[in-house]
Amino acid sequence: MESDVVYFYTLFFMILGSAFGVIFAPKMYLALISLFGLICFSGFLYLGLNARYMAVFQFILCGIFLTLYILILLKKIERLNLKLKLVSPFKIIISSGLVFSFGVMYCLFFNEEFENSLYSIFNFVIEKSTDKINFAMHIFPLHIVILLVIVTAVILRIFLEQQTVVQHNEEQK
Amino acid sequence: MDVIFNIGMLHYLVLSLLLFMTGLLGVLISRNMLRTVMSVFLMTISVVINFLTFGCYCDRSLENANTMCVFILIIAVVQAIIALVILYKIYRANEYLDAEKIKDKEN
Repeated sequence: MESDVVYFYTLFFMILGSAFGVIFAPKMYLALISLFGLICFSGFLYLGLNARYMAVFQFILCGIFLTLYILILLKKIERLNLKLKLVSPFKIIISSGLVFSFGVMYCLFFNEEFENSLYSIFNFVIEKSTDKINFAMHIFPLHIVILLVIVTAVILRIFLEQQTVVQHNEEQK
Repeated sequence: MDVIFNIGMLHYLVLSLLLFMTGLLGVLISRNMLRTVMSVFLMTISVVINFLTFGCYCDRSLENANTMCVFILIIAVVQAIIALVILYKIYRANEYLDAEKIKDKEN
């Protein structure tokens, strides 16, 4: 029981710390490290919710693939040491107020509606589906989707690079 | 004290809410567009936590929640990649990634 509490609160503060690191890290590479940390810690949180597949899936797809992609991009444009730039203090105060009011609205909504409707969303899903489908059957086509995503990203990248070269040549002329 | 030490659905939802708020704040206050993309990703992770929490605590429908979350994550990664490619193009054209500078230039 106590270990559950310690496990949860450790991850709670680690995740929030990493999230603040992503936004307020003074250098870009520190923000990227924070993002990687956040992905790992949230993966551990999923383990606490008995979602092992999601933890592994997120670590591979986001932790390795996406973080590496951003790292390569930052290295290519030589912006690993890019400094933190925020909007003006006035805008920060207004944005914080907006975010706070969003939080309050969420809590009010949760308090009013939770027991009536939201709690039964998953009941609804289960009641409507009469056939029992194996989880693996859902997941298998996703590997094809992932492959397609990677291929699309590569094609898009090559296409945009060519466009940039054409634009650059036209500007030189 | 009982509320603090009996870990349940509410705790995970509070974490999800705080993460979402942090992501939203990042989107609103950051001038660097790369950080904005990262902040959107934070919001996506908070949504995934929300789904998994409901899946775990509501009638053991974790498999449904897992399936939904896999789709959410794939879509999030796709949009992040497309956003990064567009940012790369913007960088090549302007030599900077500052949202306000780009907005000024367009005006």
